[in-house]
Amino acid sequence: MSDDTLDLFADRAPAQTGEPSSAAGAGTEHSEGLWPSRTPGPRVWTVRQVNRAVRLQLEQTLPQLWVAGEVTNFRRQRSGHCYFTLKDDVAQLRCVMFRREAARLPTDPREGMTVRVFGGLTLYEARGVYQLVAARLEAESEGGMWKLAFDRLKRRLDAEGLTDAARKRGLPPFPGTVGIVTSPTGAALRDVIAVVARRAPWVRLLVRGTRVQGRGAGEAIAAAVSILASRDVDVILVARGGGTIEDLWGFNEEAVARAVASSPVPVVSGVGHETDVTICDLVADLRAATPSAAAEAAVPDRRAVVRTLDSLGTRLGKGLAGQARSRRWRLDQARDLLYRRGRRRVETGRDRLTRERLLLAGIMRKGIAHHRARLARAAASMEALSPMSTLARGYAVPLDGRGRLLRTTADFPPALDFGLRVVDGRVACTVADTPDRSPPAASNRAGRVRRAD
Amino acid sequence: MPTEGGLDRRLRRIEEIVASLDSDAVDLDEALALFEEGVGHLRHAQRILETAELRVEELIGAEGDEAREFEAPDQGDHDDGDRG
Repeated sequence: MSDDTLDLFADRAPAQTGEPSSAAGAGTEHSEGLWPSRTPGPRVWTVRQVNRAVRLQLEQTLPQLWVAGEVTNFRRQRSGHCYFTLKDDVAQLRCVMFRREAARLPTDPREGMTVRVFGGLTLYEARGVYQLVAARLEAESEGGMWKLAFDRLKRRLDAEGLTDAARKRGLPPFPGTVGIVTSPTGAALRDVIAVVARRAPWVRLLVRGTRVQGRGAGEAIAAAVSILASRDVDVILVARGGGTIEDLWGFNEEAVARAVASSPVPVVSGVGHETDVTICDLVADLRAATPSAAAEAAVPDRRAVVRTLDSLGTRLGKGLAGQARSRRWRLDQARDLLYRRGRRRVETGRDRLTRERLLLAGIMRKGIAHHRARLARAAASMEALSPMSTLARGYAVPLDGRGRLLRTTADFPPALDFGLRVVDGRVACTVADTPDRSPPAASNRAGRVRRAD
Repeated sequence: MPTEGGLDRRLRRIEEIVASLDSDAVDLDEALALFEEGVGHLRHAQRILETAELRVEELIGAEGDEAREFEAPDQGDHDDGDRG
C-alpha cells in the first residue's frame, strides 16, 4: 500500500494531470478510424481509479474506530491472516486481521461471539470490497478473549489429566539445588533470593532468566523450564510478580503447561498475586500465591532443619542403644536357654548313668550264677560233640602246620612235617617216603616219630 | 555434583541409618559402623547449617550450558510487575 500513496495526487485528480490513461486517451487514438470520432465527453474513470479513490476516501475520512458485533465465519489462513465477518441483525461488515495482529489473539473467537473490533476501514481494490482491518479484537463478555483461551486450554489439559491432583508430586524436604525461571531483572527474583538466603542459605539457586511478558514469552518460559529440568536441580520455581492478564499471559500458554508437566522434578508456580490463577499454576505440582510464597514452600526453614538434626541425633543414639539392648537381651536369653538345657542334659545323663549302673549290677549279680549254669551246660554239650572223646578212644587226627586236617594220601607228600593230634597232646611227624595209596596204612607208615610237646 | 555430601543426601543417609538401627537385620559391628557414619553426617550437616552462604548462579547461553555467578541488577530495573 505504501507505494500507492506515492500516486496519491495522480489518483485523486486524474483529470487535472491530463494523464493519457486508457480511457482519457481513447478519443484521440480512434479519431482517424472508421467510426466518427466522439466529441470529448464526460470524464471516464478506470475501475482501478475508482477503487483507489474510494479506498483513499474511506481511509482518510473515517478514523480508526471500534465496531461491535457478532463474529461469524472466522477463518485463520495458513498464512496467519484471519478473515471474518462482523454482523448485527441487519448488516454485515467484512473484517481482516493480519498475521501480526492475529498472533496476539489469545485464541480464535467463537462463532456468534459478541466482540468489539478496533481498526480502520479500507477497500480491497482487487475485489472492490470494503473491509475493516482489525488491529484488536476483544470479547464483550467478562474476561474476554483471555478467559475464552484460558478456559479452552484448561479444558484440554483437564481432559488429558495434566491438572489432576493425583499428578502433583511432593516437594523434596531438603532440596540441594533450586532452579528458578523468572525475569533476571525482576522483583520476583529479588524476593526469592531474599527468602532462600534467610531460610536455607546452604541451598544453591540456579537462575534461568527469561522474558516473562510480551510476544514469545510463553515459549521462552517453557524453554527455561526445560533447560533447568535437564540440570541437576531438585525443584523448579516459576516466578513472576503481579500484572494485568495480558502481562501474565505467557504463563497461560500451552507450551508452558507442557514444559511444566514434563519436568522430571517438581515445579512450584508463584505467578502474580493471590487472585491470579494461571495455567502454569494449575499444572504445577504446587501453586504458591506469590514468588515469595513459592520460595518459602520450596526450601525448609533453618530452624526446622536444626530440629530435624536434633531428632535424628536422638534416634541414632536410641537406635544403637536398642541394638546393644536387644543384643544383651538376646545374649541373656541364649545364656539362660543354654544353661537350662545344659543342666537338664547333665541331670538326665547322670540319672541314666545311675540307672544303668544299677541295672548292670543287678544283671551281673543275678546273671553270674545263671551264666555259670549256662556255661556248664554249654560245656557239657560241647564235651559231647568234641572229637576228644573219639581221640580218647585211641584215634589220632593228622593236621598240617596251620591246623588243617590231612585226609588223603595226596595230603602227605614226602618229607611233609605234620602233627598228629592224640588225646593228650600233639606228636610231630614227617612223611618218610611216597605214601601208599592203599588205605588204611598211612598212619602205620610214619617214619621217625618224635614228640612235639 | 553440587548436592554430593549436601544437606539433603546427608539427612537422607541418616534416615536410612536410623531405619537400619531400628531393625534387627544388622550385626553389632555393622550397627557400630552405621552409628559412627551417622554421627559423621550429623556433624557435617550441622557445619553446613552454621557456615553456609547462599550461592546464586545463572545459566546463560542459548542452551543454558554455562553457569556463572549471578549478579543482581540495579534496583528499580524490573520488568515483571509488582512485588508478589
